[in-house]
Amino acid sequence: MIRAGYDMRHITLKLMREDLPRASLVLAELEAFAPDERPLLESELPEIPGSTFRARIRRAWGHLDRLVGLLGELPSDDSDTPLLVLRREQLVEIDQWLTDAWQQCAPCDEALHRIEDEFRDLNQLEKSLEDFADLDVDLSRLQAQHEHLDMRIGTLPTANLSRLSDILQLSDHLILNVAGDGDTRRVLIAGKREDAAILDSVLHAAAYQPLAIPESFDDNPSALRGELQARRQKLDQDCQQLRGRLANWSSTNRRQLLRARQMLEAAEPYVSVRGAARTRGPLAAMQGWIPASRLAEVEQKLTDDLSLPFLLESRAPRAAERHLVPVPVRKRGLLEPFALLVQQYGVPRFGEFDPTLLFAITFAAMFGMMFGDIGHGAVIVVAGVLLRRRLRAFTYLFVLAGASAMLFGWLYGSIFGVEHWLHPLWIAPMSDPIYMLTVALAWGVAFLTLGSAIAISNRLLSGDQAGALFGPGGLFSLILYLALLGGLVSFVRGNGFPLLATIMIVVTLLLLIAYQWQSSDAPYGERIFTTLIETFEIVNGYVASSLSFLRVAAFSLNHVALSLAVFTLANSMETIGHWITLILGNLFVIVLEGIIVAIQTLRLEYYEGFSRYFYGDGTPFKPLRVGRPQTTLTR
Amino acid sequence: MNRLAGQAYLRTRLAIMTANLLGHEKLNELAGLPLDELAANTGFAEIASNNEAGRLPAFERALMQTWLDELSALLRPLEGPARRLLTQWASRYELLNIKALVRGKIGQLPNEEIERSLFELPGFLSLNHDELLNTDSVPELLRHLQKTRYERLATQALRQYEERPDPFLLDATLDQQFYSDLSNRAQQLSGHDRTETLDLIGRIVDRHNLVWSLRYRFNYGLQASEVLYLAIDGGRVLNRALLQQMLQAETLDEAIRTLPANLLSHGDMPKQITLIEAAMRGDLFAHAERAMRRSPSALTSVLSYLVLRYGEITTLYAIVHARVHGMSDDLLHEAIDPLQETAA
Repeated sequence: MIRAGYDMRHITLKLMREDLPRASLVLAELEAFAPDERPLLESELPEIPGSTFRARIRRAWGHLDRLVGLLGELPSDDSDTPLLVLRREQLVEIDQWLTDAWQQCAPCDEALHRIEDEFRDLNQLEKSLEDFADLDVDLSRLQAQHEHLDMRIGTLPTANLSRLSDILQLSDHLILNVAGDGDTRRVLIAGKREDAAILDSVLHAAAYQPLAIPESFDDNPSALRGELQARRQKLDQDCQQLRGRLANWSSTNRRQLLRARQMLEAAEPYVSVRGAARTRGPLAAMQGWIPASRLAEVEQKLTDDLSLPFLLESRAPRAAERHLVPVPVRKRGLLEPFALLVQQYGVPRFGEFDPTLLFAITFAAMFGMMFGDIGHGAVIVVAGVLLRRRLRAFTYLFVLAGASAMLFGWLYGSIFGVEHWLHPLWIAPMSDPIYMLTVALAWGVAFLTLGSAIAISNRLLSGDQAGALFGPGGLFSLILYLALLGGLVSFVRGNGFPLLATIMIVVTLLLLIAYQWQSSDAPYGERIFTTLIETFEIVNGYVASSLSFLRVAAFSLNHVALSLAVFTLANSMETIGHWITLILGNLFVIVLEGIIVAIQTLRLEYYEGFSRYFYGDGTPFKPLRVGRPQTTLTR
Repeated sequence: MNRLAGQAYLRTRLAIMTANLLGHEKLNELAGLPLDELAANTGFAEIASNNEAGRLPAFERALMQTWLDELSALLRPLEGPARRLLTQWASRYELLNIKALVRGKIGQLPNEEIERSLFELPGFLSLNHDELLNTDSVPELLRHLQKTRYERLATQALRQYEERPDPFLLDATLDQQFYSDLSNRAQQLSGHDRTETLDLIGRIVDRHNLVWSLRYRFNYGLQASEVLYLAIDGGRVLNRALLQQMLQAETLDEAIRTLPANLLSHGDMPKQITLIEAAMRGDLFAHAERAMRRSPSALTSVLSYLVLRYGEITTLYAIVHARVHGMSDDLLHEAIDPLQETAA
């Protein structure tokens, strides 16, 4: 359909509180219901149920997540066991079991982290000893407690090194050596023993960590290697032991873990409805949005699954809530890449003109006009087909853009930049640049007029009548634009500026000024200023946007000019050089100019098209689902 | 929006928003009102909550939301380093949340209680607090934080915590990173924007360094070198040499005597840390007021406005908080204007 989300209905499900979790689960299994959390029923049903339930579920998930992080992913549940509603006492039991389970496993987690840290320190120590081997410092002092000298070897975050170095200099300490890269540096620090306390405090603030020098450091290198190796083996053994214990625990408790996950997932829909469900005593209601086509199915499933009576009411969205209605994202087939590009800009509002089809047509047309060449277009088509596995849905965009380039190449009579092999069906761009610019301008005017007409219709559908009449791209600014344009065309043709056009310009200008004036409540000076600026902006916007379309002609001329440059360069070379230049030159034209033209076309679509008529602030339809919504720690 | 239009937008927006500032006198006047009148004047009366205990946090969140909405409006025409600078300034709330989370975990508070002290932040700032809350210990919390953009800080804090758990050290490290990032972002600006914002940030850093260095040295008894390490670079007057000179003093009086005269624009430096904090704050706000109205850099005017507004919002919240908890008039006035009370 050309209008987005045309068949959505608002539903209110009135039921007994006892059936609320079951109803949430039924709706989630159907994936046809998006909760509406507006407090529409607040006065009759003041309570939002399940806050303690939610907190407990969240804690239970927290423990389960940590267990999974430690023990490894659980297998996905492929059993046909029907999902059961999680009762409060079951949740308490699962939460308690998960808390106990984590308490049993947490010491292993801590121990594994410690082992990891010790491995890291061991690596740093080995590197440090290598770093400092050639240093003219008696490192045996690092072990011995010298009477006057205080030497330390350790690591610290790279970001703290410069600050630490400056501060240590002020307190007569020295960083004798720095090694390592990345986030951690290994340092050797020397100072007076009497200032050890000062050094301790600064090093603590700098997150310095001392490295423990092995006993055998002073003896001989092979003993040292042996000791480090022994440490490493011990850590490996400890690690394996811990992993083994965890694996045993996991295999013993796997069934219980899977059950916990399944129960928590089944409870998730009830948790997710939040403010969309309301209660008062034993009564409850849930509200949200459902596609009209799924309404009967939903009602049937509720009838089958709910044990107590219920009432399902549905209605069409009201005018005032159109911007809140979620819009289902549909599979678009050949138009999929264009739908994805539209989504980059925004989601259409409910009932708003869905620009995908128009976007696909105008994109292909403008790309072809700017890049008209049978050969180059064919290369794009072939490239699209060959790369279809990588391009996926965007294959269609390549094929359509290439085909359009071929069509216009035929109209321009251009094959790989050669303009004399084929007689142009329409015109060779370089033969009459002024004509090409005029055509581009006319295309722009048509594009902007269509955009404004869609904008007016969208605003009317959204109930924004003032915007439809007086706003930028509204009816009066469109009349003003067309009158100005018609007058200018007549004037340029020597017929003078028509009276009708003058009257239309004056009347629409006055209307626009009056509207701007009354919609501002600023002091007089500021009001005059903003009214003039806003009105000028509307007129200027149309003029600038129209001129923006001259690039369509400019790029068609540019394409010919670039090809000419390639031929001129190739003709100045010998046979091999000639062909190499021709091939590379054509590749250069296809890749570089192809990318630029695609960007320019997108720019025209987004800025001169979408920004004019497309609200793009719709809400995608996200139905309630069984299982947990994905969350990440970072934004 | 081009640069010129952006500047015009900012100036116009700012001219309108300036009317939101209450000023010192109005704040004092509010502090003198009984609770019901104060509630009607500040919007606290419109805050509905299921329980009385939830009203104050809800009010604080509403105030913060106002500040963030204004920030969002001012961010609109900005891009590049200027935008990054203001976004960094907004991330102070995220910093407060991290501090609250760590303190809550150290104090082994229940998650619900920790959660109540967290700000609900907009998407462009907010960490996922659920995962951070659902941890059983500080090291576990810090390990989760290592997965975020605070990785460097969390790694450092984890090392420090394992060696010796000092909550103030984490606070100081967080502040250090916050202001260093702020200064770095200001360094990337050019022309008036750069010099004027660096001057304003330098004053903020001076205030922070002076007050906290004195506290660490003379209240907490930290070593001078450690305090110097925790100080933030980028002060306007207080460079590292001056701070070192101050920290080598044996007493607070002696330390104050080492301070340069131009640290305060008017008057002498008080002799108590709380009064020093108030004097430096007053001095900063006076400068911000001037910069907001007269700075040749629109960005500095905006930052000055945000500094002033943030200061007023925290004072306003403090007044309502004090009144709700039945603080006496004298104590309240002393808390919001200690210098005035001391002079009286």
